[in-house]
Amino acid sequence: MEETRLGSIEVLPKAIASLASQAVLGCYGVVGMVSKDLARGLAEILQPSSHRRGVDVRIQGDRIVIDLYVVIEYGTRIATVAQNIQSVVRYTIEKALGVPAVEVNIHVQDLRVSAD
Amino acid sequence: MTEEQKNATEQVANPTEAGRQAPIHLCDGRGLKRLLRYGLAWLERHQEAINALNVYPVPDGDTGTNMLLTMQSAYAEIESSPQDEVGIIAQQVAHGALMGARGNSGVILSQIFRGFGRALEGVAAFTTIQLSAALREAAATAYKGVIKPVEGTILTVAREAAEASVIAAASSDDLRYVLEQVVREARASVMRTPSLLPVLAEAGVVDAGGQGLLIILEGMLRYTKGEPVDIDSDYVRAVDLHALHPESEEGYGYDIQFIIHGEGLDVEAIRQTIDSMGDCALVVGDSSAIKVHVHSPEPGTPINFGASQGSLSRVIVENMQEQYQGFILSKAQQPLSPEEPLASIGTVVVAPGPGLAQVFESLGASAVVAGGQTMNPSTEDLLRAVEQAPSDQVIILPNNKNIIMAAEQAAELANKQVRVVRTNTVPQGIAALLALNYQADLESNSHIMSEAASAIQTAEITTAVRSVQINGVQVEEGEVIGLVNGKLEAKGDSPEEVTLAALQKMQAADSEIITIYYGESVAADTAQELAATIERVFPEQEVEVVDGGQPHYYYILSAE
Repeated sequence: MEETRLGSIEVLPKAIASLASQAVLGCYGVVGMVSKDLARGLAEILQPSSHRRGVDVRIQGDRIVIDLYVVIEYGTRIATVAQNIQSVVRYTIEKALGVPAVEVNIHVQDLRVSAD
Repeated sequence: MTEEQKNATEQVANPTEAGRQAPIHLCDGRGLKRLLRYGLAWLERHQEAINALNVYPVPDGDTGTNMLLTMQSAYAEIESSPQDEVGIIAQQVAHGALMGARGNSGVILSQIFRGFGRALEGVAAFTTIQLSAALREAAATAYKGVIKPVEGTILTVAREAAEASVIAAASSDDLRYVLEQVVREARASVMRTPSLLPVLAEAGVVDAGGQGLLIILEGMLRYTKGEPVDIDSDYVRAVDLHALHPESEEGYGYDIQFIIHGEGLDVEAIRQTIDSMGDCALVVGDSSAIKVHVHSPEPGTPINFGASQGSLSRVIVENMQEQYQGFILSKAQQPLSPEEPLASIGTVVVAPGPGLAQVFESLGASAVVAGGQTMNPSTEDLLRAVEQAPSDQVIILPNNKNIIMAAEQAAELANKQVRVVRTNTVPQGIAALLALNYQADLESNSHIMSEAASAIQTAEITTAVRSVQINGVQVEEGEVIGLVNGKLEAKGDSPEEVTLAALQKMQAADSEIITIYYGESVAADTAQELAATIERVFPEQEVEVVDGGQPHYYYILSAE
């Protein structure tokens, strides 16, 4: 993706997805990620090992576009939680890769009601 | 609030008698309302300090503001509620916090209130046991809202404080005692956050959200002890808004802030343009990001200009007239304490000249004693100021080598706990005062402030009173000399020439901000011209000019 005097550096979308999913898991209010392919009936909350499935990374020119499919805790303010995810993921990716243009789209797939 | 509690509060004319206060056994809806009001007011007072701590999860410096907005929304929900049942009030608070949750810390705070409210459902007035159960439920609910709870954050502080409440409630039915233990543990927990979260340790801060929670709890505790939480009225007087913005005759206009991101930004050109658009302009940054702050009657103009230079972020526009009125209004509505506030640590500062005295006052010094070169205050002057400071612990900043001894004598004679931070110059004193941390104890503050002072490079420009040869520099009586960190390093014919030479010796090029305090013998215009010259010689540095009004020294300079 980037040419330097020493050769090229390439960061694969898969690596970016790992970074993003780690960042999301630490985000307050997110209690799960789900595969975006709801048609396959996989809307259940994924196991931690497969969290990357709720992350979709595309490179558009010099922009990184990340789509996140999340489950949010019922009773939190969803808009705020989503904004927090955007800000944390953008910050994490920009800090790790030094690439400024990151678009983060949040898809709230479900809410989880915690047992009282 | 119970009748007993009211009496308890009224009995306490002097907070040092706190130990003798009658126990509080129950807290009803009105009691919780007052507790929250104090928590909110105390948070308001510490908002900026909490913002400054914010490095995690994103270092955007808004944790204090977000928590405050969330608390305000929570309190607005109950402010005029006629309910007397604590369970109902707690649920209304949870609802208000949820609706107004801002930022990560705000969402967590709203979950804390949610758990707290749920545990108190159906309770008319809570006891210590019920309080501890509610705090535990609050922490547990907060932990449920995240897959991977990060320790060393507000979550940890909420949990550990709740655990302390359980232990305290088992041995006491006094709510004040339990709150005391909760605050004590919360404080200890906040102090431990850097050891749990490495990013905090790297930045040398404690967790901002955890600190915010501590402040809210502390405000509540202050209520039970009859201690005030409102803003120091002297401090407000020192920061006279009119004095700060004498040019804005047409009103207060708007306070505009934003960040410009781009490539090859011309800081100087942008600064000049912004400067022409309003007053109080502050333009700092580098070729890739510039922070802009300006007061202007037309908010659109600077924002449009900023957008023409690059992409904008964190755009904030505030109506200062509204802010000012809100400020006046809140002062009028909250006669929370007629007493002088009892700051935990007071500061007695020596300053030569009225301008510098004002600078120290505006930074929150408890007392300013006039003095400096050739007009050293006596031990007695300092002792009197120490005894009059509204706190039992005092730090003295002598700000002159010749006053350190008098300060140390005053420290020994005083009936209070006193430390002297051995500042040799005014800029060192300012740096030390800025570093004062109201959360830390006297001993740690003494260290923190000494360190802050030693990081400052100072130069003083004055006239030689006798002919002498020092450091290989031969000086004739009447010549202008520059002392860099107390050592004779430069001489010349004019104060301005010596200032530039002194700045070179101070290696000001490696610093970020150069501040010039001009003395009583220097005209404001001359100082501004000098500042312009310095800006040309040191284009990378911010240059600030302050009317120090000090005698003997044409200029006192600092580089940091």
